[in-house]
Amino acid sequence: MTPEAQVLDQRTIDAVLVGDQAAWDVLVRRFEPLIWAAVRAYGLGPADTADAVQGAWLRLVENLHTIRDPGRIRAWLFTTARREASLLCRRNRGERLVADPVEPAGAGEHTPADPALAVLTADEGHRLWQAVETMHEPCRSLLRLMAAAPDAGVHQLAGRLGMPTGSYGPTRGRCLDRLRSMITVQETAP
Amino acid sequence: MMRPSPALDDESLIAALRLASGRDPVPGHVSAAARAAFALRLPGAVTARPVPAAAPAGVRAAEPDRLLRFGAGTLTVDLEVGSSDGLVDLAGQVSPWPGAGSWIEVRTPCLTESRELSPAGQFAVTGLPPGWFSVVCHHRGHPPVATSWTRIRP
Repeated sequence: MTPEAQVLDQRTIDAVLVGDQAAWDVLVRRFEPLIWAAVRAYGLGPADTADAVQGAWLRLVENLHTIRDPGRIRAWLFTTARREASLLCRRNRGERLVADPVEPAGAGEHTPADPALAVLTADEGHRLWQAVETMHEPCRSLLRLMAAAPDAGVHQLAGRLGMPTGSYGPTRGRCLDRLRSMITVQETAP
Repeated sequence: MMRPSPALDDESLIAALRLASGRDPVPGHVSAAARAAFALRLPGAVTARPVPAAAPAGVRAAEPDRLLRFGAGTLTVDLEVGSSDGLVDLAGQVSPWPGAGSWIEVRTPCLTESRELSPAGQFAVTGLPPGWFSVVCHHRGHPPVATSWTRIRP
């Protein structure tokens, strides 16, 4: 994604607001890789993943008329998709939520953008992978494999990494912690 | 309200790594559903937001989380969710009764069912596909009132 792709131009937004399907299709093409990646990271099953993604789009359709700052659509969609995915995770963990009764924030509200959005750009993604390449094993292989085989189960991933199935989750957590601290150090370095 | 999350949680990092690697393209059916969602826009509609549900008179439910309540202004839409054979049944009550000639639509991304409201403001729709749905109440002289999109998978 190029930096300029993070914001839709006003003409496209205006067209969406008057009901132009072609403009909506442009909006979907622009943001769907982000929404898909955001939801997939929660490790839900195929039906739940598709539901969470569709939920984000339906909520945008529902809240289109409240949009006052088109530059915030990306952040709004990202936050909404993560929220839907997180709710489905909670439900799957046994929390009783037949339906989702929680109110989403309006699209026009000036809620602060999720700081995670800052790493979801082409430049930052490149920087993340550069950091991964400097990591020791098993982190380097684990993170590469995690990205390359998004549909692989824990059993399969652990097998390919030569570790017990029960170690995969904790190891991944430690690797992500290390990556997080690496890029945070980079950010604060003079 | 959203719970505050760490600045960069695991899910964000995983998403960023995968997005940058470009190895997980959006499936065609997911993309098609996103494009099709636009047909469900309802210009001028008032959104009825979820409010804590209390069991309304005449609606029975064994499980309290199968009762949903939505409100917009003075209009309340109560729904009881049921299921049979993997499909979703909805029994609802619009109160106060919006008046003669009022009707509701139950909308899902793949189909829409219309029902006239009974004089008591009640309606029922059975055999809906699991997934997202919204109930729209149409009443003469007023903008339609649509419950915010809600997901049901029995």
